[in-house]
This record gives sequence, C-alpha cells and structure tokens, in this order.
Amino acid sequence: MQDRHPVTARAAQAYGDLADLAETVEDEWQYVNDLRDAYLPGILALAEAGAAGGAAGEGGEGGAITEAQAAALDEAIAEISLITDPHKAIDWLSTFPHVVALALDADLDGGVDASFGDSAGTEPDEDSPFRTLGGFR
Amino acid sequence: MRFQDAAKDARAVVYAGIQADPLVARAGALLAEATAAERLMARAAMNGERTDPDVWRRIFPTLFGEVPGDVAGAGAAAPGAAEAAVNRARAEAILAVSLEIAERGEAARSSYRGAVVEELTARLLARRAAPAAVKRERRVLFDGVRAEIHPYDVTVESDSQPEVYDCKWGARGINADVLNQLDDARAHAADEEISLAVAIVVFDARRSCEMRLDRSTAEHAGTRLIALESLDELAAAR
Repeated sequence: MQDRHPVTARAAQAYGDLADLAETVEDEWQYVNDLRDAYLPGILALAEAGAAGGAAGEGGEGGAITEAQAAALDEAIAEISLITDPHKAIDWLSTFPHVVALALDADLDGGVDASFGDSAGTEPDEDSPFRTLGGFR
Repeated sequence: MRFQDAAKDARAVVYAGIQADPLVARAGALLAEATAAERLMARAAMNGERTDPDVWRRIFPTLFGEVPGDVAGAGAAAPGAAEAAVNRARAEAILAVSLEIAERGEAARSSYRGAVVEELTARLLARRAAPAAVKRERRVLFDGVRAEIHPYDVTVESDSQPEVYDCKWGARGINADVLNQLDDARAHAADEEISLAVAIVVFDARRSCEMRLDRSTAEHAGTRLIALESLDELAAAR
C-alpha cells in the first residue's frame, strides 16, 4: 500500500498541463475551460483527501492505495503526457478524470461516477417522446 | 413524413467501406456486451498514444485483475472464478479490438471510431426494435420542407414510434448544426402529428456532454442525450 496523495497530486498537475495544451484550440477555449473547471477540483480533492489520511478499503476517499492503483495512475499520467495534439488533448480532458476515478474506486467531487459501471442516465423530460418508450426510463 | 436512403457522394462511399469493415462489426458486437467501465477503457484505448496492451491493463486494473485460482490446490475453483474469467476474457477482447482500431493511424481511426459508435447504437436498438426497422444513413423527408443534406446515422423506422439518432464519438461533436437538425425534424414531425423521438448518442462522459449542451443556444429540450454511462438504455425493452 502507499499514500494516495503524491500520485493523485501528479494526476492533477498532468490534467492541468493537458488543459493548457488543449486551450490552444481557440474555438474550443470555453469548452476546455469548462472541462477544467468541472473536473480538476475533483482530482485535487482526491489528492487532498490522500494527504489528510484515512483508512484504505473503507470506502472513504482518504488514505492508502494499492500498488496496482498507483501504477494505474502513473500509467494514465504517462499516457496523457505523451499527447502533443491539442485536439486529442480535448478528448482526453473528458476521459482522464473518469479513468482516475475508476482506478481509485473513488468519487470525484461533483458527481463523477467512480465505478463507471452503473447506468447514470437522467430522467427524460415529461414531454419527451422518448417517455413513451419504456426503455428510456 | 417518410424515410429515404441518403444519396452517396464520394465521401459517403469511402465511409461506407469503413462501416462495412468486419473490424467495426466486431467492435460493435463486443461493446454491445460491455460494461460502462469497459466502454470507458475502449474510449481511452482507441484514443491512446500507445498500443501496448500491457499499458492499458495497468491503467485499468479493475478490469484485468487476477482470476481466482484453485482453492488451496483442492481442485475446486475459487468462488466467482468462472465469472471473473468470463469478465477478464471480455475485457481482453474489447482491449484487443480497441487497439486494433488505434493502430489504424490518426487519420483513419477517427472514421473508425465514428463507425463503431453507429454500429453499437444500431446493435443496441435492434435488441428491442424489429431488426429490419433499424437502418443506417437515412434522411427524413417532410411535406413542404426542404430536405436536410446530412442523413441520420441510425433510424428506427416504426409507423407508431419512429426514432432518429445522431452518433458522436465525443462531446465535442455536439454542435448547433446537429442539435438544430434533430430539433427541426422533431418539430416537422409534430406538424404532421407524428411523435418522432430524436436523440444524440455520444461515446463520452455524460457530464462532459451536458457541459457542451449547457453552452449551446440551439434548441435541444426535446432531444435526448444518451451518453457513455447509459448506452444500455438504447436496448431496454419497450
């Protein structure tokens, strides 16, 4: 087991760097910063939770992580650090936080689904024609 | 209102070749059986810089954990071993097909990814709709309305409850043109007293899609969003 904080802090730093690259696409500046504003605080919160400590395996957000979890984050950080195309960076700004959350089995602040395993669909509008389709909840 | 095959220009002919590639069908079939986490892995790997499968196994340890072996050498499988083995095999197959697409190169992979999302959408819809009713690359024509240039990626052509879908690899593909075309179709159908369900299917995180929609001034209140986490909604029984 190891402390969650260092690797999660590196993930937050890498995410910020990725956003810096992505915002060079001028037409997508707003979207890039919307993504940064939405996801980066959650990654930072995970790092801070790690720094605060806490028991591993108790479903909390602080404390230790396994070697496999740390390796997962380091590999994910390495992956996004290889990106030089700002358009690809935009795609990864949306993907990376969920990869982090899945690896840590944690919730990012703001509702990122940690497990990414359960349907997280929202209810359809009352007037939506999809409401007549039983499958669309 | 009626559906019509889209005219095939040169670009459409090239894209049709990609859509018909067995690799696309294989990816669509595997992703139709996948969990949301496996779909997230597929999105990452198809968009990755590296194509070494061990890299991706390390990034997604929850999908590639060790399968429990024999219990103390007694010859009896550990509890959950069979299920774990099936899950691991499925994850491996999804990873393999995702990396095969990634290896097509930067230029081709974006076309392949788009085709995969369409194939997946069509396969999931075919679980609840009559397979013959699920069609691809179709236009929708309305009386007295100039036809849209771009066809819909997937349609369910039912007399009682027609549906049209636009499919996107990423949230960035959500734009005013797409949203306007979908909403116009819904409104024109309503003029003919037809309840046309319109939706955008995005192989990306719901939260990112909603951010994109929140910034859009195009009308989209009547357009349903089906994002990566909830693709199975397409297949649920009517």
